[in-house]
Amino acid sequence: MLKSYVGKNVCKVDAQDKVTGQALYPDDIYFEDMLYLKIKRATHPHAYLRRIDTGKAEKLTGVVKIITAADIPQVKNFGLIIKDQPVLVGVGQKMRYMGDALAIVIAESKEVASQAVKLIEVEVEELEVISDPLRAMEKDAPLIHQDSNVLATHYLKKGDIKKGFTQADIIAENEYRTSTLDHVPLQVEAGVGIYDKKSGVIKLWVATQWLHDTQADIAQSLGLSKEKIRIIQPVIGGAFGKKEDISVHLHLALAAMETKRPVKLTYSREESMIAQSKRHPFIIRMKTGVTNKGYLTACQVEVIGDTGAYASSGPAVVHKGMYHCTGPYNVDNVSGVAYTVYTNNTYCGAMRGFGTTQMAFAYESQMDILAHQLGINPVQFRLQNAYDIGSSTPNSQRLTHSVGVKETIKGAAVMAAWKEGSP
Amino acid sequence: MKKRGRGIATIMFGFGYGEGFPDHSIASAEIEEEGKILIRTAAADVGQGILTTISQISAEVLKVKPEAIQIIPGDTHLTKNSGSSSATRQTFFTGNAVKEASEGLLSNIYHYASIEFRSNHVELGIKGGYIFRKDNPNNQLSYWELAERVKARGDNLKAESSFFPHTDKPDPETGQGEKLYVAYTFVTQIIDLEVNTDTGIVEVLKVYTAADIGKAINPKNVEGQIEGGTVQGIGMALMEEQIIKEGITLNPDLTGYLIPTSMDTPHFITRLIENEDSEGPYGAKGIGEPATIATAPAIANAIYDAIGVRIYDLPITPEKILKALKEKVKFTSEGWLGL
Amino acid sequence: MSKLNIELTINGKKRKVETTTSTRLLDLIRDDLHLTGTKEGCGKGECGACTVIMNGELAASCLILAPQADGAAITTIEGIGDDKYLDPIQEAFIETGAVQCGFCTPGMILAAKKLLEENPHPDEEEIKRGISGNLCRCTGYQKIIDAIKLAANRLSSSDSGRGKKDA
Repeated sequence: MLKSYVGKNVCKVDAQDKVTGQALYPDDIYFEDMLYLKIKRATHPHAYLRRIDTGKAEKLTGVVKIITAADIPQVKNFGLIIKDQPVLVGVGQKMRYMGDALAIVIAESKEVASQAVKLIEVEVEELEVISDPLRAMEKDAPLIHQDSNVLATHYLKKGDIKKGFTQADIIAENEYRTSTLDHVPLQVEAGVGIYDKKSGVIKLWVATQWLHDTQADIAQSLGLSKEKIRIIQPVIGGAFGKKEDISVHLHLALAAMETKRPVKLTYSREESMIAQSKRHPFIIRMKTGVTNKGYLTACQVEVIGDTGAYASSGPAVVHKGMYHCTGPYNVDNVSGVAYTVYTNNTYCGAMRGFGTTQMAFAYESQMDILAHQLGINPVQFRLQNAYDIGSSTPNSQRLTHSVGVKETIKGAAVMAAWKEGSP
Repeated sequence: MKKRGRGIATIMFGFGYGEGFPDHSIASAEIEEEGKILIRTAAADVGQGILTTISQISAEVLKVKPEAIQIIPGDTHLTKNSGSSSATRQTFFTGNAVKEASEGLLSNIYHYASIEFRSNHVELGIKGGYIFRKDNPNNQLSYWELAERVKARGDNLKAESSFFPHTDKPDPETGQGEKLYVAYTFVTQIIDLEVNTDTGIVEVLKVYTAADIGKAINPKNVEGQIEGGTVQGIGMALMEEQIIKEGITLNPDLTGYLIPTSMDTPHFITRLIENEDSEGPYGAKGIGEPATIATAPAIANAIYDAIGVRIYDLPITPEKILKALKEKVKFTSEGWLGL
Repeated sequence: MSKLNIELTINGKKRKVETTTSTRLLDLIRDDLHLTGTKEGCGKGECGACTVIMNGELAASCLILAPQADGAAITTIEGIGDDKYLDPIQEAFIETGAVQCGFCTPGMILAAKKLLEENPHPDEEEIKRGISGNLCRCTGYQKIIDAIKLAANRLSSSDSGRGKKDA
């Protein structure tokens, strides 16, 4: 039977609210008697906090309260995979990147909060800053966390990589690098929080890609049951992976509990770029073997993913990239190792493609290089190696259905009128 | 001088969390007052349009207009876990959960209507929010009238579903496993561009995209994902880099960190390949992330085609192109290349 | 940061507001007038999310101090159309799929409004230039360009209709 609505260009259900300016994003939510927060951030990318003095800031008219780590000894670290991220860095603890939070300023206005942040005095004991993941991996590099700077190592082994390269007539071996990217959703991190004295529930209006997991992480960090954290999703102004991690949530919750008044926290663009997650820059060393007839025989890959100061989704991102190292092509012999490495850079997490975007730059550059060396049309080269039903991925997952890769190659070539012999 | 080039890239993307990580979506469907059907899901609409997708799926199952589908905004205390709007998973996971919940609701509608009409399911038909006896279509009940009668019986018209497909945890030593991801999306892009060899500036002219997405629940929204993802890919390929030196970001604003503007938008030619052969709702697969992946390599390959130099580190800025062109001339004149 | 009173016409209505010498027009519009359709994306005039029309010109309201708007006529997205009456540009944005996250949409629509007032029949290149000060991260701009084309067609066909009647 013909479908009535599936497959049709139905207008977006929320578009009318958005074109009229009626849609409420986190920063558009206001309450009477609302207080504004600003965060005092790290003053050095890698240092022990030796002293923090909020005295001058607290004297400023309009400052209601300044929360430091000393005020919240019961609060635990947070994080998507590993709980390695402090809510506030305390005296004697380390700041590991410029986005680490040292204090929450709560004030009657945004302006006062911003002024107060500048009046907070901080003394630190500076440590070597590790900005390069290759330096972080060296034996004598100082540790950013308690254990190794190599946070995770993942492996990939399929077939016999030695045999694969023996079978190859041509081998291409290259190193690829990708850059640190910001997602730049147009809406920066923002939110509003209210503490309900009667029920003990903290209500948060904060954009998140992951409502219940964000709730669970906030609850474990604050030592509360999940029912005490209620997140209400406002309209979300773009995410692309950047709104998976906790940003304003915990600071809002703490300030709401402390003041019993509505509180709002909105990042500046600069703060969003420095403090909130990034796309991992990858170093990818890839070696690909192919026969004279243009059939892939082996793919060997080493990946170093700089996850910055905290894990976030890093351990999952870097190896997912590696798992996609052959692209959609049949390769019987695959070998790989992926390192997720801490540095003092802004932490990296999920961003559109989750490591496979970086990897595609490497494997599709390799395919192009090999096609040129073989003198085979790049469309033909891809077609003759592409997956079919029954093909097996680098993880040896056998593809049983929905494998339209060859149709995409042919489809694009037909549309672009790609002719034999043309590059 | 301006030189034209063409590049191709083909990619795959295993979507859903996969790798044995618990991944599920819960959704419910219930008859609301005033001609509405209420869907509860925590799926976040970050702009991609999952709420629209859900309304189309539920409307299709229940044979009502999409406007009749009301979706409660995400709220931890009013909706159950639908996982994240990431991993290209919402259309597949929450789409399936909503489809199953809507089918469950429909089966309840048939059940209670068959009691009201003293008939069997096969003798009943539905249209536009009404259920009726096929032998006497005038004898009909709206879903909402039926809901009132069911309520009077002390029951209610609702259904919930959890979509929770299995994946395997890979072997830690080898990364091998039988089913790592629920399915793969495939995309090929061919990109035509122009390189100005005097300035190093690259202009992306045309982007041909063919995407194997199983089935487009909303073709225009799928195109929107492809176009938006591609332009993000253009940013990654040609201009975007947060420069962090000794832990300090040197360009923390949109003057120092450039993203594509309308002036960077190419001409798009897109074909959706719909074999309707996936386990997603109506055969759909996800497109969010795959939409951006092929662009950077296709651009790098097109730049090589245009000027014969290959850049191995992103972004491929004008400075890198000019430097590479200079070195190429040097190598060639010294007889290392171009023999 | 001293206080002062200013008077401005916002979306056709005269308003007297108390503000300060250091308040940005953007904050006045959002915090004091509660017109939250005008967005802040960067605070530096780089993204266009805070675009308003001030005295007939596009303006980044994050770069203007409130006292500078004393006596000015300002149009925000709320003055373009609402649920009861949508501007043809707003309708076109909905129909062509030009809206994803929607955060750039108000500024984008104001830029389109200004463009079509000055140039009722823009070609693709002119449209691109007309919205080049407004960043969008979701759509890749194509559907926004399509929406502006559609709105231009509809506006000009209704204009010519009116022209005939007048004649």
